[in-house]
Amino acid sequence: MNGFPGKGLLEGLAVTAKNFIGSYFDDNRKERLFTYQYPEERMPLPENSRTFPFLVYDGTPDQLRCTACKVCETECPPQCIYIVRDSDPNGKPLQRPKVFDIDISVCMQCGICAEVCPFDAIKMDCDFERSQHGRFEELVAHLPSLLKSNDYYHHIKPTEADRVDATRKRVKKPSPAAAAPAPTPGPAVAAVLSPTPLKPMSPPADILTEDEKRAWLKGYQSILGTGPIVWPLTTKKIATTPQPPTPAPAAAAVATPPASSLAGGEPWHDSGLDLAKRMELAKDRSLADRLMAAMAQLDCQACGYDCRGYANALAAGVTRDVTLCAPGEDETKNTLETLLKEAGKL
Amino acid sequence: MSGSGLIQTQRLEVSLGPQHPSTHGVFRMDVVLDGEYVVKLKPVMGYLHRNHEQIAEKLTWLGSMPYTDRLDYFCSMTNNWAYALAVEKLAGLKVPERAEYIRVIMAELTRLLNHSCAIGFLLSDCGAWFTPVLYALRERERILDFFETVSGARMMCNYMRFGGVRVDLDETALAMARRLVARWPSFLDEFEKLITGNEVLLARMQRVGILPRELAINASISGPMARASGVAYDVRKVDKYGVYDRFEFRVPVGETGDTYDRYMIRILEMRESVKILQQALRDIPGGPVIAPEARLRGFKVPAGDGYARIEAPKGELGFYLVSEGGTKPYRYHVRPPSFINLTVLEDMCLGHKIADAIIILGSVDIVLGEVDR
Repeated sequence: MNGFPGKGLLEGLAVTAKNFIGSYFDDNRKERLFTYQYPEERMPLPENSRTFPFLVYDGTPDQLRCTACKVCETECPPQCIYIVRDSDPNGKPLQRPKVFDIDISVCMQCGICAEVCPFDAIKMDCDFERSQHGRFEELVAHLPSLLKSNDYYHHIKPTEADRVDATRKRVKKPSPAAAAPAPTPGPAVAAVLSPTPLKPMSPPADILTEDEKRAWLKGYQSILGTGPIVWPLTTKKIATTPQPPTPAPAAAAVATPPASSLAGGEPWHDSGLDLAKRMELAKDRSLADRLMAAMAQLDCQACGYDCRGYANALAAGVTRDVTLCAPGEDETKNTLETLLKEAGKL
Repeated sequence: MSGSGLIQTQRLEVSLGPQHPSTHGVFRMDVVLDGEYVVKLKPVMGYLHRNHEQIAEKLTWLGSMPYTDRLDYFCSMTNNWAYALAVEKLAGLKVPERAEYIRVIMAELTRLLNHSCAIGFLLSDCGAWFTPVLYALRERERILDFFETVSGARMMCNYMRFGGVRVDLDETALAMARRLVARWPSFLDEFEKLITGNEVLLARMQRVGILPRELAINASISGPMARASGVAYDVRKVDKYGVYDRFEFRVPVGETGDTYDRYMIRILEMRESVKILQQALRDIPGGPVIAPEARLRGFKVPAGDGYARIEAPKGELGFYLVSEGGTKPYRYHVRPPSFINLTVLEDMCLGHKIADAIIILGSVDIVLGEVDR
């Protein structure tokens, strides 16, 4: 031991004293004080910061990006997402969710749903003030409360949202819905689209008293909110004019390798059609075509392929797993099984 | 029975924990005392058991990644890496160079924050009430800020992916990391001045809880604990996984294997980590951060089994995986360093006073999330 006895003790005390006094007078005060006086003072959140998922819509809330393909439901590690597909009065399945629940008491904020979503429909919010009085019902987020506009997404994550918009523009196919004039937004939507900053980080400087601060905090969440959105919204009409399938000679269809059977189009490739209708359209086609018709037609890639790719893989025997089509659920699985059994491939 | 025979004494059984502030989590020690001396000690674990391995066998390969964050919740980055490494080994994925460097940066920053907090809490156990651990937490906070900037979460990063990492480090993030690394040596100097030469500390720690070299090897102790006992074994040097063969760093090794050595080893390892970080941040190449053949949805791993291990801050962290060729593992097993390091607790504590048992446990550096899984 060097020096006099007790030297180590005194040196340690000097360090403590330096830190204590320095936290009041030092030029490096900010280095020594890393705490924030929450909630009056707020730490700026980095753009990547994530809490709970929300659903993005373009323009108005009925232009939801989500197609209810259930990829997120399948991949969600703690299984906190529950989705039911919507259907029109005739029972025809629609490309949007009827029920979309996220149990935020179970959600572990991992962000895997946002990562795997093929449609950029689910993204991670950065709002962490979600405490509730109740433990059960209040902590289940239903569809209306999950909807947030693309503008909100741009507000919280500008870089990421720009990147997503760019890829979507590149990938997006021209659809009749996109060409239609945008409907005038209702008051609730207008509030969302208004250019007022959605989330100020600190209260305005002219708020001084404690009561004013409390009042400001109380109104804080309301600045954020999208207002009440009533679900279900107007049923969007999906024009489906299936062309009559050009019948192919049955003998040729069996002999044709799966990949080359594209002639005659894929009239069943419309997720608005129900399974029986799709199977009828593909009745006289090759095995790969019939397999494809059994799928949910979302090209969601939950199986690791698009619908055509998965059908080809099954027909060629690359994979034997018929359970991969998540949006198709049991009816797709059973149909695939039947088709493959008929063809003697299972 | 002890004593001179004048006073009749008997042994006392004490149940220490599971809610004792010095047990570092829900962990219990059944201690038999003779006076103040420990004659028997039985660690009782399992209070935090969450069925991690069984859950992983029900999830997709990717689905287990956020669960690995919750093993050793101080070091989510290294947990991610070990799991990703095991899956990459099975799937034959090659990781791009930039991603390998990013992984090294993240792992070494994790080592810095883990070691600084480990010794901080150890000093709290010694009675240096909260000043050292507060300084450690202050520095850890800056690293967590960096993790949040990059990965989106402070502790549950969920950052690594099979075949790379999820988000690239941009120039701002790299500058932030460089600032962190640059200020770390001065923090260490201040920290050492605060406590290392402290006479009370030396009296409490030296020759306490000696773990002999042979026992450390026989009990397959790994990490700083084994190195403090004089076992020069570091998976970074032995396996050279990732790009660790490109960095110049030394492996500190202790002599006596007492609590003070385990404290000192961590300080020295942090200094070596700073060296690795400086080299990694200097040499980091450009390019993609994820392998082009890596996929998220419907990811399948060819049938087979494999074990991959890394040098996590607490020791050798390994994942043993068996795949049937499907979208989920058939068997998933974790080799947690703190669990195995805890098995020699009784050997280290025997013959010491009960107050020493507390600091010996502190020097093992356990996280119950990993011990119980």
